[in-house]
Amino acid sequence: MRIRISHTIGYDYAEPARHITQILRLTPRDHDGQHVMSWRIEPNVDGRLRASQDAHGNIVHSFYADGPISSLVIRIDGLIETIDLAGAVRGGLERVPCEAYHRDTLLTQQDEALRNFADEVTAGAGTPLSQMHALMNAVGDRMKCVEASGRIGVGAAAAFAAREAIAQDIAHVFMACARHLGLPARYVSGYVARSDSLPHGNGAHAWAEVHLDDYGWIGFDCANALCPIDTHVRVAIGLDYADAAPVRGSRQGGEGENLDVRVSAREAEGRSANQ
Amino acid sequence: MLSRTADSLYWVSRYVERAEYLARILDATTRLTNLPTTYGGAGTEWQSAVLTAGCEEAFAKAYAEANERNVCDFLTFNPDNPSSIRNCLAQARSNARAVRTALTSEMWDALNGAWLELQRFEKKRMDREEFARFLDWVKNVSLVFDGSAYRTMLRDDGYWFSRLGVYLERADNTARILDVKYHVLLPADEQVGGSLDYFQWTTVLREVSALTAYHWVYREAVKPILVADLLVLNRRMPRSLAACYENISRFLDALGDAYGRQGPAQRQARKTLANLSNTRIDDVFEHGLHEFIEEFITENNRLGNTIFEQYLQ
Repeated sequence: MRIRISHTIGYDYAEPARHITQILRLTPRDHDGQHVMSWRIEPNVDGRLRASQDAHGNIVHSFYADGPISSLVIRIDGLIETIDLAGAVRGGLERVPCEAYHRDTLLTQQDEALRNFADEVTAGAGTPLSQMHALMNAVGDRMKCVEASGRIGVGAAAAFAAREAIAQDIAHVFMACARHLGLPARYVSGYVARSDSLPHGNGAHAWAEVHLDDYGWIGFDCANALCPIDTHVRVAIGLDYADAAPVRGSRQGGEGENLDVRVSAREAEGRSANQ
Repeated sequence: MLSRTADSLYWVSRYVERAEYLARILDATTRLTNLPTTYGGAGTEWQSAVLTAGCEEAFAKAYAEANERNVCDFLTFNPDNPSSIRNCLAQARSNARAVRTALTSEMWDALNGAWLELQRFEKKRMDREEFARFLDWVKNVSLVFDGSAYRTMLRDDGYWFSRLGVYLERADNTARILDVKYHVLLPADEQVGGSLDYFQWTTVLREVSALTAYHWVYREAVKPILVADLLVLNRRMPRSLAACYENISRFLDALGDAYGRQGPAQRQARKTLANLSNTRIDDVFEHGLHEFIEEFITENNRLGNTIFEQYLQ
């Protein structure tokens, strides 16, 4: 599927900022399931935009601009060609051995309730793969996925107790359970193309990947109750949201920040039929 | 566009690129054999030139010994060697004539002029100086042809097919240079990093006109791992495998968009490109440069076949 993504991140400052630094993990890489045909990041303010890579192999852009800046808009435009590999992630860049993703972080810490839940729902399943599928469905059934608009993540345990959460926390719940069961799990941030068959998506999304011995890394999207298909564009990975966050920034001055994010990911018109 | 036309355009560029490559091999090998023997050259330089050109079987049939005279003759004017410089230019020209109207007049003039000029060279008795002039001339033919295509051709499927020929051939050539130099030229008892090594890797860089680029990129002495990094993974280096595949993938995408269909060729090129962009040179050396290159050459040939099946037949 050919997916056109346009993502605008706009900031307005009541009091102009003197200096702005932004760390953007907003550039996807190629792997067997996706091919980046074009990708641009364009801030509307003069500044320095430098590309580098982080420890996970994500492409990271650092943006520095000196003020006074009263509004900043970063625009991302891209075109991606994807293939449905039923969740399998092959041919990607693996900087870190998979064992590293056993590690718990603040956002994926488990409590008693989570551990019991994980043991309970996977008790009947035989192989690790069917365990993960059972877990994905159970997490999807139990947790209500809500729109992110303005909400921030609270971490796996708190989200689990609340029974409703934004997509990133649902991924954290799943990762916390998988790590409790002894499997390496990681966080994926990305985009999901608008599709009638997917309840949650249409823009920025987050899901999780688990490493299974026989298969390698496999994605699990609990909010949509499926393994990522060709609607999913994988952008950045990490131990949790904080590691793979699309945007992190700091500024001097610029009180009264107002954030406006618009994302659209949809099937491109005039796409090529596969033969 | 008729697939026959596409096929001819593709092969015209491929043959011109190959002729240039043969000239580069001969030029570099001549340099290498001119080194003082105290550097301990293995004396197999001409043999490895034949290997790099990928025609060892045909050569073994025609000649007993791989020395300067035999190899130069075989790779330049020998009519029995299907990929001698002479035959490459002849094939390029006959393919060009078949699709004369699909070429711009500049491209045709470059090829036709080269063919006439070649016969003058063929009749001459060449000393070393004249031979060096001949090799420079071959490189020039390729530059002129490539430049005319770049400057004058309409950007449509004809141009894209001709570019595919260039980059597939170039990727194959770069891979072969790396493979042969790594194995044949390094005698077993020579320490890696010795003086012989230094000259051989410098020669590799000269073969692809990358010695200056190397110093710009790495700013240190010539080391095998960095030479390989430059020629395999560095996209800024126009002859590197990654740069070739970036272009192949781009032109295949353009074809896919223009025809409204894409198929195995696009997928295969993207896969190789992803693989090249997600690999580090340390990993390549860990698993063996030879294995990596060999696999690459096989994949590259396979892509050539896929393109043939999808578009050219």
